[in-house]
Amino acid sequence: MKKLTICLFALIAGVANAGTIEMKVYGLVCGFCAQGIEKTLRKNPATADVVVSLENKLVAVATKEGADISDAELTKALTDSGYDVKGIVRTQRSLDAIRAELKQ
Amino acid sequence: MNLLKYALAGWLLACASVAQAKPIAFSHGTTVMAEYGAGTMTEAQVFYAPKYFLSLGGGYLELESDIDHRRREITYTRLNYLVKRWNMADAQANVFVWGGAGQAYVSELNEHEFAWNAGAQVDYETRRVYSSLKTDLHHASGFEHRVDTLQLGIAPYKHDFDTLATWFVVQGRQYTGVIHEGTEWALLLRLFKRGAWVEAGVTDDGKLQAMAMVNF
Repeated sequence: MKKLTICLFALIAGVANAGTIEMKVYGLVCGFCAQGIEKTLRKNPATADVVVSLENKLVAVATKEGADISDAELTKALTDSGYDVKGIVRTQRSLDAIRAELKQ
Repeated sequence: MNLLKYALAGWLLACASVAQAKPIAFSHGTTVMAEYGAGTMTEAQVFYAPKYFLSLGGGYLELESDIDHRRREITYTRLNYLVKRWNMADAQANVFVWGGAGQAYVSELNEHEFAWNAGAQVDYETRRVYSSLKTDLHHASGFEHRVDTLQLGIAPYKHDFDTLATWFVVQGRQYTGVIHEGTEWALLLRLFKRGAWVEAGVTDDGKLQAMAMVNF
């Protein structure tokens, strides 16, 4: 029973934090670039929050609970915005954690 | 011609950079821009970009002679097209072209004429260095004006999405056409954050040069 409870907590925690998608993007050199990307991604109904870092060439998207955005959809959104996606990873980091890390 | 030589030298020195206010900001974005050069030109533009490589809109350009007050008032529609973009890890370069048509008022004839326009811009920028080279031609039966603009800029620090970007810019601008001939240099301070951009400075004649732009 104890093992089952631990597994259940781990599963819930995993699901709760699974909605962060981090993309490495080339061509991010100004605030206007980031503004366009943020605007595009926020239009997606699955998007909960977006963080863009020019310094880290990072675009991170938090999805709403139970929702997801496919890699193909994300790549298309960024390509249609005029930028090149060089990598996509799904992480356990929250966007608040990413923001805090970026401020350091 | 001198400006072209300086442009070429600057281009090489700056490792082929170019970038100023882009005619296309981002997909599904609207750009509103106003520029003022005391004694030379005033311009306002509005563009909407249905795609990241295409924008449509219009503008108003007023060119005035600071000697005899002759002026051209050109109202135009325009299509801007991104021919090529290079996205690099820490840089971006672009080639834009545009063209359109409209109407021009020629003050000394007190007439309105059909006018067309065409131009191009090349730019390369990082978060610390940029340069841009732009040429803009307006033609009517009674006149032809070309404004060539070179900008070389340096940022004292790297800005990020949520921080203020600060740029120091040297601008060389050559006016070709009967109403105003010659090269004008200006030193500009440019500030932008997210979608808002302002810049102001002085020309070598001590006149005000200013620009404001909003993207949304």
